[in-house]
Amino acid sequence: MRRRVDAGLGGVLGEARHSLRSSNRNARSAVVFGRLLGLAFVICFATGLYSHFLQDPLPWMRFPTHPAQLYQFTQGLHITAGIAIIPLLFAKLNTVMPSLLKYPPVTGVLHLLERASIAVFVSGALVQVFTGLVNTYQWYPWPFPFRQTHYALSFVLIGSLAIHIGVKLRIIVRYWRARDSYDSEGRFVPDATVGSELLPDGEAVAPLPQHLPGRRFVGRIERWIDGADTRAGAGVPGPSPEKQAASVAPAPRDPAARERLARRGFFASVGTAVAGVIVLTGGQSFGLLRPFNVFAPRLRGLGPNSLPVNRSAKAAGVLETAVDPDWGLTLAGKGIRKSFSRADLRAMGLVQVDLPISCVEGWSQMATWRGIRMRDLVALVGAPPDSKLKVTSLEKHGGYRIMEMGPEYTQDPTTLVALELNGADLDIEHGFPARVIAPGRPGVLQTKWISSIEVIA
Amino acid sequence: MTSVAIDRRVRIARVVLVLVGVLVIALGAYTMVTTLKPNRIWGLVTWLIAAVILHDAILSPFVVVVGVLLRRAGRSVHAVALVVAQIAIVVAAVLLSTVLPEIDAKHHVQRNPTVVPFDYVARLAVVEAVLVVIVVAALVVGSRRRTHRVAADAVTD
Repeated sequence: MRRRVDAGLGGVLGEARHSLRSSNRNARSAVVFGRLLGLAFVICFATGLYSHFLQDPLPWMRFPTHPAQLYQFTQGLHITAGIAIIPLLFAKLNTVMPSLLKYPPVTGVLHLLERASIAVFVSGALVQVFTGLVNTYQWYPWPFPFRQTHYALSFVLIGSLAIHIGVKLRIIVRYWRARDSYDSEGRFVPDATVGSELLPDGEAVAPLPQHLPGRRFVGRIERWIDGADTRAGAGVPGPSPEKQAASVAPAPRDPAARERLARRGFFASVGTAVAGVIVLTGGQSFGLLRPFNVFAPRLRGLGPNSLPVNRSAKAAGVLETAVDPDWGLTLAGKGIRKSFSRADLRAMGLVQVDLPISCVEGWSQMATWRGIRMRDLVALVGAPPDSKLKVTSLEKHGGYRIMEMGPEYTQDPTTLVALELNGADLDIEHGFPARVIAPGRPGVLQTKWISSIEVIA
Repeated sequence: MTSVAIDRRVRIARVVLVLVGVLVIALGAYTMVTTLKPNRIWGLVTWLIAAVILHDAILSPFVVVVGVLLRRAGRSVHAVALVVAQIAIVVAAVLLSTVLPEIDAKHHVQRNPTVVPFDYVARLAVVEAVLVVIVVAALVVGSRRRTHRVAADAVTD
């Protein structure tokens, strides 16, 4: 009985695998997509870590304040690479799909661990990329906190990636170069010695007796698809060689040329999809792509003061406190405590800087700010320019109500307590009566509606 | 370098990669249990399992069906036309998978009008319609060409 099940199930899965055979689904394609995906994952991981530590620095960490657009670049890259992963991941999964139908599904403890690590990798990647994408829409339809999960999961993903590369390394080395992967006619060179499960010609499906369950059904489907029994066929879109020889074939007639065309067509599809999603959404992060911004969740220039808003005054609960005429900015230094009204601040004379707002969600925009230099303000309470500060907002709640600022930002001459934005008073949505703007920091740390600045070190 | 030396280096690299991978995963798991409450971790686990099911039971069969249909269409359509159709289908599917959640988000996100500001339904409809036109045109032109060729071959026969 067991044998019969083995033969039957193995046969059906084998036939299904056979029907998935395609010149796109070989080890070389897996290596090509794997390389691109690996690169994108590493870019996302590195830029993600940078963003994480900007927000939660270890005590000894200091960050560059120049170029001021550094975070704009790294986070734009994070989101763009993340979006590019979507079509690449689909392409990779499609390429290795025959492995999904491997029979027997598990051959030993090592194989079980390998398949388990791939399951973790694939599900982790799908969840990470999807939740990351939807986070840029500011929508959180899942039962876990986004930031902590995205961070922890990124280690699981990168670890799984290292294991996956380790497991497949012989295949990766064998098919790293195109010239080792295809013969002079451009046909894939199968090599059964490196352990690939994707050998369309080498791993011939063992011939099964016609009476086995499933065989006839699958055979009928295959005849419907290809018009003839295609066991000897290359499995590319197009008729089988027998059929081709017997009738007028669509061009090209040569099977090797068909294989090349099918392969290039697939790469062209994935390449176009990657380019498509980047071009149609990248305009929120990169100026060059702005005219093609069709699907991004943000539009540069849209919003009060011609700038998009992330956290609104209403969401922060400051609609009343921010416009209170008695508002004053409290400065606390070494034993000195002073309060400044908006008129006091303005009377100090405003300096103008151009700095971008760069959001963790990927959108960014350059803006012109006018305000008082932070290092001049802390000098008024007797603190040196390289002071560490704690800035508190009028916000009632929220993870970024209190922000700490390292000395590298306090002493930078472009770090301001800003009162004006793009030629007008700050809109309440952008932090009226006063907000912080500093170079190279995520938007969540450019605290709005500030009420106090305290020197803490 | 000899192939034995390469084999040796590959073997060492594999061991290092797998060990590093296990350590990094352990770090991720540790971070997870120290920063997330247990019920949140279970929430994440259900999402991870759902992702595998989504991929294995829905996405993969869908791709197989599309591939089979393209292959069957390939019997009577010019190969280049088929490639053009394939490109348009892949682009359409990828845009659909990224913009559909955005459309849904628009119904849930009411924070401020600068988040998801566009009419994504209309924009997606236009782009997808253009792609559908490309697919149909490629298939029609591709199969017509073939008919002409058959006719031409018949004449020369």
